Amino acid sequence: MTATQSHPPSAGSALQCQALVKTFDGQVAVGGLDLSVRTGTIFGLLGPNGSGKTTTIRTCLGIYRPDGGSVTLLGSRDPLSVRHRVGYLPEERGLYARMKVREQLAFLASIRGLTLRESDRRADAWLERVGLTDRANVLTREMSKGMQQKVQFAAAVIHDPEFVVLDEPFSGLDPVNARLLQDLIFEQRDRGTTVVLSTHQMDQVEAMCESICLIDKGRPVLGGRLSDIKAEYGRNTVAVEYVGPRDRLAGIAGVRACHDTGRLARLQLEPGTDAQQVMRAVFDRVEVRSVRLDEPHIEEIYLDKVGSVRLSAAAPVPA
Amino acid sequence: MNLTQIAKIARREYLARVRNRAFITVTIMVPAFMAMYIVAIPVLTRSGRTTVQLAIVDAGTGLGPPLADRLKAVERPQIRIVEVASSTAADEAARARFTAAVQDRSLDGYILIEPAATATSGLRARYFAREVGDQTLRRELRVALQSVAVAGLLVGTGVDVERVRQVQQLDLASVTVSAEGERAGGFERAFASTMVLAMLLYIAVLINGQGMATAIVEEKSSRLIEVILGAVTATEFMAGKILGVLGSGLTQLAVWIAVTLAFVIQGLPAMSIGAAANGFDLGAVLTPRLLFYFAIFFALGYLLYSVLFAMIAVTCTSTEELGQSMFIAILPMVVGLMAAISVLTNPSTTLTRVLSLIPLLTPLVMLARVNILMPPLWEVWLGIALLLLTSAGTAWVSAKVFRYALLMTGKRPTLPELIRVVRAG
Repeated sequence: MTATQSHPPSAGSALQCQALVKTFDGQVAVGGLDLSVRTGTIFGLLGPNGSGKTTTIRTCLGIYRPDGGSVTLLGSRDPLSVRHRVGYLPEERGLYARMKVREQLAFLASIRGLTLRESDRRADAWLERVGLTDRANVLTREMSKGMQQKVQFAAAVIHDPEFVVLDEPFSGLDPVNARLLQDLIFEQRDRGTTVVLSTHQMDQVEAMCESICLIDKGRPVLGGRLSDIKAEYGRNTVAVEYVGPRDRLAGIAGVRACHDTGRLARLQLEPGTDAQQVMRAVFDRVEVRSVRLDEPHIEEIYLDKVGSVRLSAAAPVPA
Repeated sequence: MNLTQIAKIARREYLARVRNRAFITVTIMVPAFMAMYIVAIPVLTRSGRTTVQLAIVDAGTGLGPPLADRLKAVERPQIRIVEVASSTAADEAARARFTAAVQDRSLDGYILIEPAATATSGLRARYFAREVGDQTLRRELRVALQSVAVAGLLVGTGVDVERVRQVQQLDLASVTVSAEGERAGGFERAFASTMVLAMLLYIAVLINGQGMATAIVEEKSSRLIEVILGAVTATEFMAGKILGVLGSGLTQLAVWIAVTLAFVIQGLPAMSIGAAANGFDLGAVLTPRLLFYFAIFFALGYLLYSVLFAMIAVTCTSTEELGQSMFIAILPMVVGLMAAISVLTNPSTTLTRVLSLIPLLTPLVMLARVNILMPPLWEVWLGIALLLLTSAGTAWVSAKVFRYALLMTGKRPTLPELIRVVRAG
């Protein structure tokens, strides 16, 4: 595989936003966002639908001009000036439906600054890499969603960017292809590319991201290294595998949230609660297969941060 | 603006256009239809019906037999007079037998001649047939009737009937006089060539402009534009698109011109059949001057309308919206086409001069003027300059609209919004 080159490792931030503001017709889409993405890492940009992730991405890439604050991308205050060193996979597939796959890849490579000949060569190499060589001359619209997503990914990294934004890259992929894509993203990171991953799939965030930023309504609600965030929450979750009727575990004292599937339950403890006491209550109520004290999943942290905002905004439910 | 980036966008757009099935079909079909028009139509119309079977019903004028003799002499179509019947009345009953014969197809038609009803009125003649649309036949019948009627009046006066007939066939030929000299024919020829050239421009703009507009809306709605705008600026994108589509239009024109030239050189024998029948001389119609101005107006008109199509497309969020908005660009073309036709009959009125200087109409109307009656050079070049200025201005506005509207999805920008954007600069 000769399609990729390594970037020299460098410390510091590939992307830095300071007090970034973007409004549309007076409506704030991004309101004072600070963000720092360390070079050569995978960074998770998380947030509910409509939280301002896409606007943040577009502003960072220079597609939108910020209304306030600043963006420094790859050392430049003008993101457009480094656009050939940047790759982007938008959330909705952006491919020409009536264009052949190989031509499409070569075109997208060429507008990223490669010569036509080099673009052709890399298109072939990437088609081979994602297992689509036999589809090179097929029209994009004739391919499955998963295949298109792989082409879209190839298009985002075909010019060996130093910085790449992947917005929901796993949507539409089966487990085999999701794993392939995960490997390809790791490969990008390993050769020094900084990856910003925007996704709702928290298991992927958990597995891949070094740092995250969780935004809601255009403002950051949580950020930092994943390990630090988890450490801050501590081992505050009792994970139970059990046999017995569902909902038996509800209402245990000291538990502020319980996610129960009927076979697996995760009980989040109030600060200061004695975990041993909660575990004993669990043993009293159901037939336990296994139980352990766990760190919270990123999904639980997400729900804790964003879900609570949503719930507190809703009307109070009578007891 | 980065020219290399523009070239890459233009290249893709050009290839997408010229590989398009509609483009290939139109590029081939237009010359094919033209060839058919020039060669086949005259041949076909000439050889329409070769023999016609007619009867003459004379309701007391005495013109039946001489009319029959006169009609037998007609060469094309050959007229066979099956019967010359005398009748005392011209009512339905008297005609019933002939009407039935026309209906059962044993007769193509019959002519009924009635004497003058009063002393001051003239003869009355009617032609009954299944098909009454044959212009050649109707002309022959009318001329024959007129000559036998006139001959009837002249009996015993000593006037030579044959001379009268010659006088009746006198035609008025027209010759266009201009600074360059005299040119036989005029209106029909200029009309035909103007219409053909105007249609070429119209078809080329419509096919290519619409294709590009649809592509822009697709790029917007598929979010492909986000990927592209990460690599090129909105202005580069727009410039590339328009250059690509301009290239495809010029390619189409080049194919058409090449086919025309090949046709003129190679197809002369075939053409002479049609040309002779039609009094049509391609060389006299498509003069170098006309072709020169056509090339200019084609390129500039095409450019202006392409920019217009692109600007409309970028404000639309779906192909349905585009379909509804496209008339904004198509309407001036249609108006231009109609104005061009009116110019042909009124080539030197003030209205014509004004219309030909309205940039959106200039390509079609000024072309018509150049063709029918060459206007002063300064007027032509003023039109070209205004057209150029307008194209540049529209492109400038369009670039601003592009930057603003290219990433808008779900909602169309309103006109006040766009005006604000353009003013803000």
